[in-house]
Amino acid sequence: MSKGVIIFAHNNRQIDYIRMSILAAKLANKNLQVPVSIVTDPSTIDWMKESNIEKTVTETFDKIIITQRPDDTSNVKNYNDGKYHVHAPFTNGNRCNVWDLTPYDRTLMIDTDYLTLTDALSAYWEVDSDLLISGKYNDIQGHERVGYLDTHISETGIEMLWATTVMFTKNETTKIFFDLVSHVKEKYKMYSDIYRFNPIIFRNDIAFSIAKHIMNGHQKINEPKLPDIFSTADKDILVDVSNKKLKFLVAQNNSDAYVATTVTNKDVHVMNKFSIMRNYDNLMELAQ
Amino acid sequence: MQEQLDKALEFANYRQSFAIQRKNLKEKVDAQLTYGFNGGIFKIDRSLLNFVEMLINKSRKENVVLLDMNDNPILVDDLTKFSDEVFDRYFSATFTYLEEYQKIKKARSVEKLLEV
Repeated sequence: MSKGVIIFAHNNRQIDYIRMSILAAKLANKNLQVPVSIVTDPSTIDWMKESNIEKTVTETFDKIIITQRPDDTSNVKNYNDGKYHVHAPFTNGNRCNVWDLTPYDRTLMIDTDYLTLTDALSAYWEVDSDLLISGKYNDIQGHERVGYLDTHISETGIEMLWATTVMFTKNETTKIFFDLVSHVKEKYKMYSDIYRFNPIIFRNDIAFSIAKHIMNGHQKINEPKLPDIFSTADKDILVDVSNKKLKFLVAQNNSDAYVATTVTNKDVHVMNKFSIMRNYDNLMELAQ
Repeated sequence: MQEQLDKALEFANYRQSFAIQRKNLKEKVDAQLTYGFNGGIFKIDRSLLNFVEMLINKSRKENVVLLDMNDNPILVDDLTKFSDEVFDRYFSATFTYLEEYQKIKKARSVEKLLEV
C-alpha cells in the first residue's frame, strides 16, 4: 500500500502558500519518511516560475498536481500577524477533491502551516481505520484561550473536528465521505441552517465535521482520531528559531499582553503565516 | 511600592511562561507514549504496563487480545515482545520528561526558560 502526504497550496496576493508548502513538505518528508505531493493551480504555478522556485518545488514534491483554482473569491478573512491584520481570500474550497487527486493508497493531508517536527503521525499509518481526523484543538497557552467555538461548530452545534490533519485510505467508504463533504460545501447555507453555524466563511473543519457526523449515523461515536492539533493562534508571533527551538510570543488570552515560550520536538500548527515566512530560512534548517 | 509591583509582575510573567512550558513538555511526553500496534493505538500508561505484566505473570503470553485507546480489540501474538517495546518506550519518555522538567524547574527567569 503506497502512502504519502498531500498539501494544497493556492497563493493569494498576500501569502505565498507554495513557498510555505515547500517548508511543510520538507519537514513532513524528513520526519515521516514518506513522499509529499502538492495540489496547486496554474496561477500559483506561474508565480512559482516567476519567483524562481520551480527547481526547488520539483525537487521537493513527489507529484505536482495542477487543478483548477477553486472559486473562493467571496471567501475572505482576516489574517492576523500579531496585532496587525490583512484581508485576503481564503482559498480552501477544493480539499474535498483530495480523494480523486491523491496518488497514494493511504494519504495524510496537512495544512501548509502545519510544521511536522516529529514522527508522531507515523504511528497512524497502520491504524485500522479508513478515515482519521484530528478531534481537538490544543492551544499553546492552554484551556484558558480555547472557546466553545473552537470545540463546537456553533453554540448549539456538534463537536468540531480539525481538518488540519486528515488521514484516509482510498476506498468506497472514504469516497462517500469526501463526496459528502463536497455536497456540504455546495449546500453550505442550507447546512448552516440545519446545524446552526455562521456560514459567512467556508471552513473545511465545519464541512468535515458535518460529513463525519452524518456518516456516523447522526451521532457521536468513540472512534480513532489523529492527535490533537497543537496550535498557536495568528495573534501569536513566532519570533525566532534556533537550536531546534521555536520561540513564540503568545498573546495572553488573545489580549495585547504577550508571554514568551518555546516549542521543541513537537508538531505545531502556526496560524500566523507571516511569522513563518519571516523565519523561513531558519525553519528550513530543521528540515535538513 | 512600584519596584515591588514590578517584581511581582515579572514573577507573574515568569510563572505564565513556566506553566506553558510545563504543559507543552507534558504533551510532548504524551505523544511519545502513544504507540501504534497491529492497527490499534495504545496509550502507554501505568494501567497498560501493569495489565501486560500481570498477563505475562499468568503465563498468558501468546495471542492475547488487548483493548486499545478506542476500546477496539487488538490481537497481540507475542506479548513478551509487546511488553519489552512498551516498557522501553515508557522509560525512555519518562526519563526525557524528568530531564527536561528539571531543566525548566531550575530556570528561574523567562530568559532562562527560553534557553532550556
